[in-house]
Amino acid sequence: MVNKQVYEPKMETIECYITGILPRPEELIEVTRAYDRARISREELENAFEKATKEVIRIQITAGLSYITDGMLKWQDLFRPFTEKLEGVHVGSLARWFNNNTFYRKPIITNRITCEKNILEEITYRKLIPKDVLWKVILPAPYTFIQLAENQAYSNKTDLMFEYAKILNKELSKLVNLGVKYIQLSDPALVYQPISKSISRDELSMVKAALDTTFKGISVKTCLQTFFGDFTQILPEALEFSVDHLGVDIYETHMEKLVKYSFDKGIALGIIDARNSLMENMDELVKLAKKIVKTIYLSDFEEIFVCPNCDLEYLPWKRAKEKIKTLRVLATRLEEELHG
Amino acid sequence: MDKLFPTQEIGSLAKPSWRVKGYQGDELTENEIAEAMSWGEKLGIANLEQLIQVLKNKNSPQRRKAILEWAAKYAIKFFEIAGLDVVFNGEQWRSEMYEHFIRRVSGFKVLGFVKSFDYRYFNKAACIDPPKYIKPIYLEEFLFTKENTTRKIKVPFTGAYTLVDWTFNEFYEKRVVDKVQDFTRRKFEAKKDFLFDLIKNVIRPEIKTLVDSGAEWIQIDEPAATTNPSSEEMELFVEAFNETVRGFNCIFSLHNCYSNYKILAKYAPKLQNCGQLALEFANRDNPQIGLDNIRTSYKEIKFFEEYGFSGNYGLGVIDVHSNFVEPPELIRDRILYAAKIVGDSSRIWVNPDCGLRTRSWDVSFQKLKNMVLGAELARQSLE
Repeated sequence: MVNKQVYEPKMETIECYITGILPRPEELIEVTRAYDRARISREELENAFEKATKEVIRIQITAGLSYITDGMLKWQDLFRPFTEKLEGVHVGSLARWFNNNTFYRKPIITNRITCEKNILEEITYRKLIPKDVLWKVILPAPYTFIQLAENQAYSNKTDLMFEYAKILNKELSKLVNLGVKYIQLSDPALVYQPISKSISRDELSMVKAALDTTFKGISVKTCLQTFFGDFTQILPEALEFSVDHLGVDIYETHMEKLVKYSFDKGIALGIIDARNSLMENMDELVKLAKKIVKTIYLSDFEEIFVCPNCDLEYLPWKRAKEKIKTLRVLATRLEEELHG
Repeated sequence: MDKLFPTQEIGSLAKPSWRVKGYQGDELTENEIAEAMSWGEKLGIANLEQLIQVLKNKNSPQRRKAILEWAAKYAIKFFEIAGLDVVFNGEQWRSEMYEHFIRRVSGFKVLGFVKSFDYRYFNKAACIDPPKYIKPIYLEEFLFTKENTTRKIKVPFTGAYTLVDWTFNEFYEKRVVDKVQDFTRRKFEAKKDFLFDLIKNVIRPEIKTLVDSGAEWIQIDEPAATTNPSSEEMELFVEAFNETVRGFNCIFSLHNCYSNYKILAKYAPKLQNCGQLALEFANRDNPQIGLDNIRTSYKEIKFFEEYGFSGNYGLGVIDVHSNFVEPPELIRDRILYAAKIVGDSSRIWVNPDCGLRTRSWDVSFQKLKNMVLGAELARQSLE
């Protein structure tokens, strides 16, 4: 079969995609609740996930997104099912997910972590992604993993970060062989600092080294998506990270500080607010995005994406769906503004 | 209370299937009716044949009302027989703490389910108009509880900060959109407006209704209290609590769980008229019996003492998310460990970490009975 692609990202176009876990559609929610109450079988649950996954893939394609994810409907949080399947990791008790009314289960590192299986091959719905679209996957970044995990096995968290990065690298290589075209690592902990000081410069150089390890030999496009905090805290160091694109949460980032830097990497503008049910004012967003792009890119634009600032799962499915539909509209309008 | 370590519940208890299905108007199976009978006998509920008749009746408003009343009677008795000193109705009349409230107030529109964790969700609303008080929210269940128990009553009351934090703030954000350019400021200013309108228009009128009807103790439930740990947000939370309770002749307490106690401790002394902090610890504690360093989570009570909180503690000694039935000796040690840190045993009350709605009645009953036994053991060891 010819690998025909719907969108060919080019320098002059503005691209769009989603950046995390999608909310479960209502019908699926009912099924998961029934399963939780032992009223239906595992098979019925799996079938419902598959059906809903097909639907969220279809909606992304119809909405004209540049890269398509499987929607991660099965994911209970950013770590599960991925990190819970690693050897040495146990699933711990509930803890708050940053400043949300959402909880995750702490990965407890009880032994040195290893990966015996083809985890990502197992948990992604590769077979449901049509061959003629560009497939994107999203995984927890090394820094967020070690910050939110409970380390009982390593003498320090940096060792754990590098071991995780190595495993990630191996798993990502397998995914590339399976046809993935875009890899996003979600890294909220890198910028979420509401009380303590920003991350230290030394830590940032460790993060950079861990990302080098993670993406060593990975030939597809990569992005480090930050959210829930001010991206400018990790500047200018982030500009040296070994990723193609940097993701910025526009709703948490200090704009005046951001536009003081010039970028030589692509940017993923988290400009659709996934934690707000109001539909965005397009004029306001286009104006803001234009200002950012015009100031951070002195001459040629790099690759620019418009996307939700974080996982859309903070919204009920219906509202999330409406927001997905606005992404291409916003991208097109921004493109016209920039080139018009 | 005239004894050390009084025991209390926090709020919810699971709804038995005869309550859920019966209220929905569904027919009940023989097994479900038998379950109602069996618990009724265990709890010594009078006139059980009347309940059986109600359960066998066809769906009608009268049947639904009767089912709610029976469920509340069961829950009150459940807590009494388990031996608790302070009781309520197990929130049998509430769908859950958030939705029950917002569905009884105008200005909210339910948008749909969002994930809380795993396969658990909550029905999230948007504020689309200024909130308005239409009718009492908790009054009927308080009056019913009062009629059906001689024990001390504590009314669980969902706090304003949590209601606002869990709601999409459409009305107030739209209102400030032209005035505030910065996105972060815009959200915060709109949140403040929403919060104090809700307190003024709805929360205070409801508290007044309860107090005028004889409520002596209201527990403000604020699970969202430290969700946004910045000092600006924490000050807002404190201001909201103080405005909520201002001037009422009633005891208030605060329940907060799955939180950041280092942050809460710093602001706790600023809470006015807050007689008790009911906190969650068991979930994060070690299951082994003992008084030394293994009581990891209870160490956090030090934060509150160091910052100078002078009220009582409602010590969470039961994990509400596990079926492990804590032995009385473990509960005793948790109590004694915390009492030692506080240095004044009379400031320690004993409770589950949170509401027991996710546990079966069998598990909840065993857990609560052991909690009462554990408190007794702790008392004995101090005598």
